Amino acid sequence: MAKIVEAAKCVKCGKISYPMHFYCPSCRGTRFEPVPVEGEGRLITWTRVYALPLDYAVLYTTLGIVELDMGVRATGQLDIAEPKTGQRVRARVGKVREINGKDITGLVFGAV
Amino acid sequence: MSPPVYDWDAGEYLTSEEERMIDELEAMLRPPVLPMAPYPPKAVLLASGETMVVRQASIDEVDTMLKVIQPLSWLDRDFYDIVAARLFAELLGWKTYRVRNEYCLVGVVDGVLAGIVNGRLWDEKHGVSYHTLTLKRGLRVGSHLFASKMEHHIEYLGQDEVWVVAESPIGHRRWMIEYPLDKKFEIQHELGGAPSYVLTRETYFKAKSRLVTGTRPVSPELLASSYPLREPDLKVMLTQIEDTLEARL
Amino acid sequence: MRDVAIVGVGSTQFGRAQWSLLKMMCEASHDAITDAGIGERKIDAVYVGNMGAPRNNRMSGLSSGLVDRMNLYPHTVSETIENGPASGASAIKHGLHSVASGLCDLVLVCGGERMREVNNFEATEFVSFLSHRYAEYVYGVTLPALAGMFTRLYMERYGLEPKHLAMVAIKNHENGAKNRKAHVRIPITMEGILTGPDALNNNPWIAEPLRFFDCCPVSDGASAVLLAPAEMAKEFKKTPVLVAGMGQATDSQAVQDRPDPTELTAVRMAAERAFAMAKLAPKDIHVAELHDAFTILEIAESEECGFFKKGEGHKALERGETRIGGRLPINPSGGLKSRGHPVGNTGVSQIVELVLQLRGEAGDYQVPNQPRHGFAVNFGGFGNNVVATVLKRGV
Repeated sequence: MAKIVEAAKCVKCGKISYPMHFYCPSCRGTRFEPVPVEGEGRLITWTRVYALPLDYAVLYTTLGIVELDMGVRATGQLDIAEPKTGQRVRARVGKVREINGKDITGLVFGAV
Repeated sequence: MSPPVYDWDAGEYLTSEEERMIDELEAMLRPPVLPMAPYPPKAVLLASGETMVVRQASIDEVDTMLKVIQPLSWLDRDFYDIVAARLFAELLGWKTYRVRNEYCLVGVVDGVLAGIVNGRLWDEKHGVSYHTLTLKRGLRVGSHLFASKMEHHIEYLGQDEVWVVAESPIGHRRWMIEYPLDKKFEIQHELGGAPSYVLTRETYFKAKSRLVTGTRPVSPELLASSYPLREPDLKVMLTQIEDTLEARL
Repeated sequence: MRDVAIVGVGSTQFGRAQWSLLKMMCEASHDAITDAGIGERKIDAVYVGNMGAPRNNRMSGLSSGLVDRMNLYPHTVSETIENGPASGASAIKHGLHSVASGLCDLVLVCGGERMREVNNFEATEFVSFLSHRYAEYVYGVTLPALAGMFTRLYMERYGLEPKHLAMVAIKNHENGAKNRKAHVRIPITMEGILTGPDALNNNPWIAEPLRFFDCCPVSDGASAVLLAPAEMAKEFKKTPVLVAGMGQATDSQAVQDRPDPTELTAVRMAAERAFAMAKLAPKDIHVAELHDAFTILEIAESEECGFFKKGEGHKALERGETRIGGRLPINPSGGLKSRGHPVGNTGVSQIVELVLQLRGEAGDYQVPNQPRHGFAVNFGGFGNNVVATVLKRGV
């Protein structure tokens, strides 16, 4: 089970990208080192999804896009009952889904 | 001279002794029934702008319903065949007094049957949900009717819980997850099949504002428009069911 | 490069298919061939637009199957084009290229999809494979989820209200009810889906702030168009329609990656490219088919394509400008909302509908005043691969 969600930091220019691309978006470098997606950020937008794939046994999941202070944006699950656009959130890593009986870990955002 | 052929259907051939015996047998076969509060009719405004009256059906409306249900028992689509066949048997059983404490609610749009739900009382505090059959699809008629059925058990029949199983994945998803129902696997639901789920008073009142709809009272004119029950056009009904609009991307 | 015209169109009923995928595609193709009246001419190439056949119907190499079923071998060459929900328009683009380049004369483009062969959950699941595998999909992101997040931002920024979304749905259902081939032919009312006492139960959440009637249905359907060089177009039975311009553009796969997630850059660029090729401007368009997989998309696309200023699309909608009979009728066929959205087919069916409008053959949902220029947007992924088309009556 993965403990971190990795972003890619360009070895040449230091730009962090998430999700990673083959070329660095700012200098077209191709060598990266993994850095964790972590810390606090601001919730840009969110939704509660009710029409879920069959492997979900819940009424809905809450998803959001967060602009993290570390300079990347990330989509993840929200562990917030009543989210507000613009609110501060903090990232952690947790189980987000089960696919074919295998736990999938990913970003979960909680209120700060 | 040969003896007359015995005719089971013709009354005059029976002696009074024979007649008495048949009544006694019937009395043995006909179960006693618990008193059941009536379901007060309500009006639901559908997405199309049409109004659906949800009301209790009576035994003399069973024949009309059977006529509508029967062709669906051959429809291998979204479990319509199994639901129709079983509902047919349940309603026939109700009509002939072979199922105990059964009730049936119908949804009626412009006098035309739009959906049927039924169930029965296990005892005073426990209810058994039987089936939900949608005839007019794409407007969440089934969802409204299932909610009415739960409303009837908890609010009007004053029960503590209702046992529910689903035959179709759509039903399972809708009832078990949307409400959400609790597992009650120690109970074997009367329909056989999967272990039972249960709707308790507590879950019902939590879900009520989200899932139970309709306005009361229903004006006498509107209620009158739901009598007598008319059959939907078979072709329109089958087309709607085939082209079910349940799924959204 | 040669000018290319559409000389024949055909389409099946949308909804839940009574036929196999190949049979649907054959029927639509046969309609297009008959519509054109190709006589003894041979079809040089077949392009098929499809997204889910290998998964949903356990068929790959769909175009070879179609060529076989229609006895077009060995003369005809064929390919299947998969470009998500923009597969249909992409297939037409390939058809355009092969005719324009002079490699082929008569080209059949068929978009077909049979999604109802699998259940709803699998259909939602397979479409959600379009999202970014690691940054989106694993979180349970579906297309409605992306649309929901997009809608919330859009509403907050431009002052859209739920009633505007409902107005798109009501308009398109009203149009679709007149289209004999549409999937959902149920007119809906504002009271029934938004303001009435039971509305929120009739119209439950799919992905907040999007509700049931904000999302297109899962449909089966096939459509086909027949392309020919413009100089040959007069040899066929029907009024030819020129493919005046086609443009395509791409965007980041993950929506979060876009500098401004409310901008549909690929839509804007695809439209600009199509207009540039056609030497026309948004004001010249008389009828449009936009990719309203979600109600918000019709509004957002109408702005990105230049029909209305950014943030003004919903005002035009309020004024009734996008209804049949309005200044710019959008989705007179019912759009994806009502006509249906067989994903790989949609791009082709949009073009079929526009051709009917430009020829004046749309019947009950015909746009008045003999429209001359039509426009379509076929939106792939959540805006990461978009194809726009400008059509012009006559050659």
